[in-house]
Amino acid sequence: MKISPVLTLTAMLLLAFTPAHAQQNQPGIAQLLREPFLDDYYSNVVYGYEIITDTQKNAGRYVGNSLQCSNCHLQAGTQQDALPLNVAGMYPKWRAKNGKRNGIGLRIRECFLYSMDGIMPPEDAPEVLAISAYVTYLSQGQVMGAEPEGRGVPTLPDTGYDPNPASGRAVYLAQCASCHGERGEGTSAMPPVWGMNAYNKGAGMNDIRKAAGFIWANMPLGNGKSLTHQQALDVSAYLNLQIRPADPRDSKLLKLLEHLLN
Amino acid sequence: MISKLLTEATPSFAWRKKAGNWRTEVFAGLVGAILVIPQGITFAYLAGLQPEYGLYCAIFVTLFCSLLGSSSMMSGPNTAVAILIGTAVLPLAGRGSPIYIDFVFLLCMMVGIIQLVFWLARGARIFQYLSPAAISGISAGAGFLIIMSSLDSILDLSTFKTTFFYEKLYVIISDAVDLVNPYSLAIGVTTILAGYLGRRYSPRYFIIIAVTAGYLCGLLVAFIWPQPVTELEYLGRMPLEWLPFSIPNINMEYLMISTQLIPYAITIAFIGLAQSLVIVRELKMETDQDIDLDKEVYAQGVANFLAPFFSGFAGAGSFNRTRANQSMGATTPLSGITAAGFVLVLITFLGPILTYMPMAAMAGTLFIVGADMIKWRDLKHYAQVRSELVIYLATFVSIMFFGLAEGVVVAVFLSVSVFLLRISQLELTIDSGDSGTVLKVKGALFYASVAHLTEKFHRHFGEDLTVDLQYTTHIDQSAVDFFIRESRHMAAHGARLTLLINEKQRNFLKKLGASTDIHLVSL
Repeated sequence: MKISPVLTLTAMLLLAFTPAHAQQNQPGIAQLLREPFLDDYYSNVVYGYEIITDTQKNAGRYVGNSLQCSNCHLQAGTQQDALPLNVAGMYPKWRAKNGKRNGIGLRIRECFLYSMDGIMPPEDAPEVLAISAYVTYLSQGQVMGAEPEGRGVPTLPDTGYDPNPASGRAVYLAQCASCHGERGEGTSAMPPVWGMNAYNKGAGMNDIRKAAGFIWANMPLGNGKSLTHQQALDVSAYLNLQIRPADPRDSKLLKLLEHLLN
Repeated sequence: MISKLLTEATPSFAWRKKAGNWRTEVFAGLVGAILVIPQGITFAYLAGLQPEYGLYCAIFVTLFCSLLGSSSMMSGPNTAVAILIGTAVLPLAGRGSPIYIDFVFLLCMMVGIIQLVFWLARGARIFQYLSPAAISGISAGAGFLIIMSSLDSILDLSTFKTTFFYEKLYVIISDAVDLVNPYSLAIGVTTILAGYLGRRYSPRYFIIIAVTAGYLCGLLVAFIWPQPVTELEYLGRMPLEWLPFSIPNINMEYLMISTQLIPYAITIAFIGLAQSLVIVRELKMETDQDIDLDKEVYAQGVANFLAPFFSGFAGAGSFNRTRANQSMGATTPLSGITAAGFVLVLITFLGPILTYMPMAAMAGTLFIVGADMIKWRDLKHYAQVRSELVIYLATFVSIMFFGLAEGVVVAVFLSVSVFLLRISQLELTIDSGDSGTVLKVKGALFYASVAHLTEKFHRHFGEDLTVDLQYTTHIDQSAVDFFIRESRHMAAHGARLTLLINEKQRNFLKKLGASTDIHLVSL
């Protein structure tokens, strides 16, 4: 059979101009921020990005402490091993924390309740929708249901020793106190790590192993993985001993007094 | 004329003399502030903005309207206006982006300017034609809408859209187990019951009693169950600045794009004014306040124009807050001015306490206010006259089905139609004496009412006819033409037309050349 040269040429042209991964050709966040006019989805993405980077200003209604989302979700949720936000494909899923099936919306709302020590936004709050849009945007190209590379924080191997808060204190004062303060109060640019303006006892960071993974992988900021596993565990145990807002799931009276006094 | 405009344009403070009980006014202002905080937040979301903007609107629009106005109307964030701002600006820019805010500010300034033009054109006169029945109908309809929207928060329904109210009721009832949040319902019901019980003992402060009961009930619920279980919606924290100055961005590019906003600006300006003026008319009807409608239009225009300079968006009069204000006994703009101050003070000093204010308690209060606006007494009152009842019910029903703005249009249309029908009625009496037939005409003779005369002329065709026009209030050209035509027709059949007229009518008839054909007798 003879193939017409015109047809061959057309087929070749078509192949050349078909993008291999059409969905990955989405504009970067810097470009979106410059764009004067955005459609509904991208304007929500930008709004979500602004909430993540400046939570106090853009979602202050639901926040009870002085943290920003990007204090833990480093680089606005794009850095691996620092709780990246490209996890839309993992939800809905069952979580042991509340013992039910969690959609991405509930997951975001609980962040406000525990890590931000505030109140849960209603499920249809514009802030929640915007953060969902931003998470969806970051998750483009990920495989549904599969765990993205560098999700959450690394799990540290067993060092064979118990975490020691006393040596953790020494490491904290030497390595962390310059930014986070000797009393963990933080500065205007750096987040507090304990005290009444930090995350509460229901937050994921209040788990010694999780916090140790985060500290080992990312702290001191810009010089991650410089501590040993044991040092990270010690600092984490030291942080865990400090005073911080109560878990909103128990001791409600205390919780209320805290909010009235703050 | 100019001096009149100037007196309207300056704050008069005439109410100072009659502000007898300033304590009542200040207390009413406190209630207004408590009610406006959740509304400001919700309406800011409707307009596509962050909640602070709604609160700044609640502070500054209320302040300017009350300072420049003459009534105890509470202005501030308004549902219809907020929704229209959202629909107008969303196609131009992404929600919450800086450009979006620039366009909202530009739109609000346009609204203010249009309202000021309306003031210069003395447009408030249109609302003089609203009959009391129509105003009561609008008020009842607004009460119904307030109740329906308060159900959302009392039952903690997440957003679902229905076209008509009965669909919503049907969905709520048929799906109650899944939809209704029992914790939220308990708080809402407590608030409403406390309000009605509180009114027995303290008719003046019952709204405060209701809100406090709702808040305490919310605390009780929060003590027993944590928020992930109850899923209650709380007011939350509101960081506010005391003087949020902002200078709206205006450049050529914006102005070019903003031509698209003009139709919306006109709609918003008129819907805002229509609601405010209906409220003012109602206040005028029910209280003895010295209210100047034009001054209110001016106050609205200036407030909306200045709102962007204080990080707020446009607002209008509020039915529910004015009603609450009225039931607290406020009669002067002082309550509005203090309400504006109280929003700032409450949020600054009671922020942590207000954080845990359940939205259901706020909605319960609105439910009471809304229920107060539907008055059985009004219905009985207007049921005595058929045309009034028709206006009242038609306005109420059209608001129930189509919304407030549409209802106001229906009300104006019906009031004007009934008014026109009524003045085109002529009172005709016929005396048949020795000197021929005398026809007495009472009412206004104009193109619409002349038809009634024709019939009488035909019945007494061929007789000498005297028409007594002394009690006629107005004669227009078509009526004179009619007389000339009839007179010629009668003369051809040997009869004669005589008009009994006064001096003013004589000049008018002579000018139109009636004296050649008709026998005119001046009295």
